[in-house]
Amino acid sequence: MLTMQDKEAHERDATREDAELVDEALGGNQLSFQLLVERYQERLFGLARHYTKSAVEVEDIVQDSFLKAYRRLATFQRQSSFSTWLYRIAVNTALDYLKRSGRSPVQVVEDPELTAAPQRAQAGSGAAVAAPDANLARQEVARITAEVLEELPEIFRTVLVLREFEDLSYQEMADVLGISIGTVESRLFRARARFKEALLRLHPDFATAD
Amino acid sequence: MEPAVKITCDAARPLVPSYLDGELSEVQASPLRAHLLDCPACREDAKQGKALARWFVPEAASAVPAGFAARVARRAFAGDPGLLVPEPPPVARVRPLLPFLLVASAVAAAVLLGLAIALQRQSLPQESALDAREMPPPWLEKELRLEDVTQTGR
Repeated sequence: MLTMQDKEAHERDATREDAELVDEALGGNQLSFQLLVERYQERLFGLARHYTKSAVEVEDIVQDSFLKAYRRLATFQRQSSFSTWLYRIAVNTALDYLKRSGRSPVQVVEDPELTAAPQRAQAGSGAAVAAPDANLARQEVARITAEVLEELPEIFRTVLVLREFEDLSYQEMADVLGISIGTVESRLFRARARFKEALLRLHPDFATAD
Repeated sequence: MEPAVKITCDAARPLVPSYLDGELSEVQASPLRAHLLDCPACREDAKQGKALARWFVPEAASAVPAGFAARVARRAFAGDPGLLVPEPPPVARVRPLLPFLLVASAVAAAVLLGLAIALQRQSLPQESALDAREMPPPWLEKELRLEDVTQTGR
């Protein structure tokens, strides 16, 4: 059970800036690095779960992301936020993991950046998708979404995860992925079109009636 | 209040996703909102985007193992590189020639030295003290031997 002192210390830690904790960790303070891990561990576990269903593998990916982050802490430039920098490491770790385990998701045959712009108007056309039925349990919707995401090439899956689940802005996504905002927009547009197409292919009953 | 700038469907449609994501500035969003009020086709696009967004429901929050942060921090400070550190690219093993030649030369030199010592020892007298006994010449030695035989045969 937490004492009053523990609670006060916890509140004090919660208000401290990431940059301050980074500086302290670089100075050899292990507890400061532990606080950074505590601050972001849930988000990284959520992110890694979009790449593998195995709890053990998720933990390995998150752990390695933090270990990598610690090793590269001195290279953190502070031009972007610590969370964006950490996300970049985590996404790359997850993708490296998939490649090394021979489970790299469906590869993109075409270069989406080359074909995105002219197809903008048409990409979303075709059958319309209905919003999930109100009677459908939240967990069931999440299961279907995870199933559909697994069908997508990893570059599309990653932009959808960062935008729809992690709520990153276009600028943050551009920083995480090392691409321009224009590329984020076009990749996201195509990713949504592919998601819709896969959803309707796997579950044609979710097409709108009209 | 100035009327919003009118935009066409071609200009409006590409802006809809960014608008739904809250990525447009007010200057961009205002004419789009006005257009969506007037245009049923573009309004349907926006409605579709909203419907699709409702599918992105996160699964139940992942349970972080107890003590995870402390364990990771401890490992980080202990210099643990982690499980997934990329393995160094395989480098073709090239056996360095110089050490091999040096060792081979040393072995050969040792063998030659050993042989030389052995040969030198063989050519030296077997006993250190000189034998002062007078040896009979070979022809006399033969006769003496015959004499011995005849004496013992008797």
